[in-house]
Amino acid sequence: MSAAPLPVREPVWQLSRSAIALWVTQGVIGTVVYGLLAAAFVLLVPTGDGWLRAAHWALPAAVVCYGVVAVFVRPRLRYRVHRWEVTGEAVYTLTGWLTRTWTLVPISRVQTVDVTRGVVQQLFGLATVAVLTASSQGTVRIPHLEVDVARRVADHISRRAEQVRDEAT
Amino acid sequence: MTEPGAAGRRTSPRVLLVHTVTFRQARSLVPLALAVFAGRGFEGGPVTVAVLVVAVTLLSLLWAALTWWRFSYDPGPTAVVVTRGLLSRSVRTVPNDRIRGVEIEAPLLHRLLGLVRVRIDAAAGSVTGKDEELLVDGVTRDEGDRLRAHLLARRAVVPAEASGRHAAAEPEEEELPRFRNRWLLYSPLVGSYLVVPLAAVGALFRLVDELPDRYVPELTPDLARQDVLDGWLIAAVVAAGLLLLALGSIAGSAVVNWRFRLLRRGGSLVAERGLVTRRHTDLEVDRIRGCAVSEGLGMRLVGAARSTALVTGLGDAARRGQLLPLGPRDRAWLLSDLLVPSPGPLRPHPPAALRRRLARALTPGIVVLLAGAVLNVTSGWWPLLLSGAVLTLLGWPVGRARYTALGHAAGPRTFAMRSGWLVREHVVLQRRAVVGWQVQQSAVQRRAGLATVLACVGAGRGAYAAIDMAADEVADFTEASSGPWAATLRG
Repeated sequence: MSAAPLPVREPVWQLSRSAIALWVTQGVIGTVVYGLLAAAFVLLVPTGDGWLRAAHWALPAAVVCYGVVAVFVRPRLRYRVHRWEVTGEAVYTLTGWLTRTWTLVPISRVQTVDVTRGVVQQLFGLATVAVLTASSQGTVRIPHLEVDVARRVADHISRRAEQVRDEAT
Repeated sequence: MTEPGAAGRRTSPRVLLVHTVTFRQARSLVPLALAVFAGRGFEGGPVTVAVLVVAVTLLSLLWAALTWWRFSYDPGPTAVVVTRGLLSRSVRTVPNDRIRGVEIEAPLLHRLLGLVRVRIDAAAGSVTGKDEELLVDGVTRDEGDRLRAHLLARRAVVPAEASGRHAAAEPEEEELPRFRNRWLLYSPLVGSYLVVPLAAVGALFRLVDELPDRYVPELTPDLARQDVLDGWLIAAVVAAGLLLLALGSIAGSAVVNWRFRLLRRGGSLVAERGLVTRRHTDLEVDRIRGCAVSEGLGMRLVGAARSTALVTGLGDAARRGQLLPLGPRDRAWLLSDLLVPSPGPLRPHPPAALRRRLARALTPGIVVLLAGAVLNVTSGWWPLLLSGAVLTLLGWPVGRARYTALGHAAGPRTFAMRSGWLVREHVVLQRRAVVGWQVQQSAVQRRAGLATVLACVGAGRGAYAAIDMAADEVADFTEASSGPWAATLRG
């Protein structure tokens, strides 16, 4: 998969393994929702001719494909890709599965640090740390850390940010 | 002068006239009045109308007077306090050091009476909204200038540590290269100005739609008789329409940009503009993080450009940050270089980037071409095939142009990025502007050894991209373009 060298180095730390379970759950939920929509279409829309008939076959098939990718492939790929790291001067993450995104934010420019826990995340005892800067685009999200790790990380970042804060934005 | 404290100041009483004439406060009564008339029915001749007009004017005057009487502002040494409200009083205090900018505007009526309106921008962080603004409507021009000087004094005297009133001695002024009104002729080539006449045409059509039929001239029979000249007529109408569009866009941009001036006064840049409403905007030089020089497709043909300063924490930045709304390219660059020195010539992106641009530009054309080919074989329908071929042929120069637009450079204190075809944007940013880096690599880019680098900044659009840079240059570029913290990206 990764024949070419990476443009920048990978952050060091991997996510908790429960992240895979969480992504699988999200994939299952998504597949069920799409499945219900497709079932409604197949049951309620009469079989016409031409492309309507084709849609009756294509839609369920598309849902099955989506389900396979979202439940069996994507969580594992994501887990292999996702990395994060907090150094003395920066917060660094790598996210994505097909398209990869590295984000680096210097701690001196951090404005706020949020810890959020979604509904599904709470089931697995995970939380997301979001580090906000003056730029609307310059937000680092470290998704799916264990709750106590997330809290310690957020604490560390905000304390460190106070020490090295740079007033300019 | 009874109620407000010793320090509170009122706006000029002349503003009463403006507000009475424009029914500024009484406007909120219009729906109520309509409801009353709808309920009771409207009968009566000219006398009733006259009485009504007088009554409304008096009411408006009364209301304006009350509003004026209950409004006061107090520019103190550390904070501005604005007190207002007819029944429920509201007192707003904005510390002077939270003030991001002061804009003085003079709409037509205000100008006739020698008044101005002062907007005090006190936006906090990334929050945007009308609430972040203090409005002092209707002070004399001198008082407006004094107010501005007072509010912005803090910056001018930071090193010298003088008392608040010291700023009354205006710091030296320096006029930056002047805007020539003939540059307004470029406006038909700028997309945003073309929209102005189009919007006017839309409004006109709505109006015609609303008019009773007997007022609309009958056009159709006339046209039907000129069967022979049909082609010529259509051509003439189209030409006239285009001409009107061009004139309209020039007029529209003249209203906004007439006698645009840019001054450097102490630590800030002052931009003045407008034909009917004169606007006077202050930009703090210290908050400027970069400059963007953008050239649309049409503007490139005649060598025109516009340049915009990227300023942190500036509301309505696209308009207020403008350094040169329209002008020759070298002027745009002159201004940009003056504020943010250019880091030198751009480095072109690798050939793989050209292949990727071409692939992206050609794909839609090829898809249409294939679909057209299938249709042509199955049902002999050729227009789709033809349009596919045309799209594909056009895709080639577009892809090449998109590639030549790409480039980046890192200098000692600034760095630059350029991209875009429809609007080519060349951004020069200061090193300190960067609040984060984002590197993106799709599966295709990974195989081609490319990556897109986004510099996140707290100004302008929030992030600017160097598209399809060679993957192995990324770490060098990011480190050279920002602080040592970016070395984290290096392996």
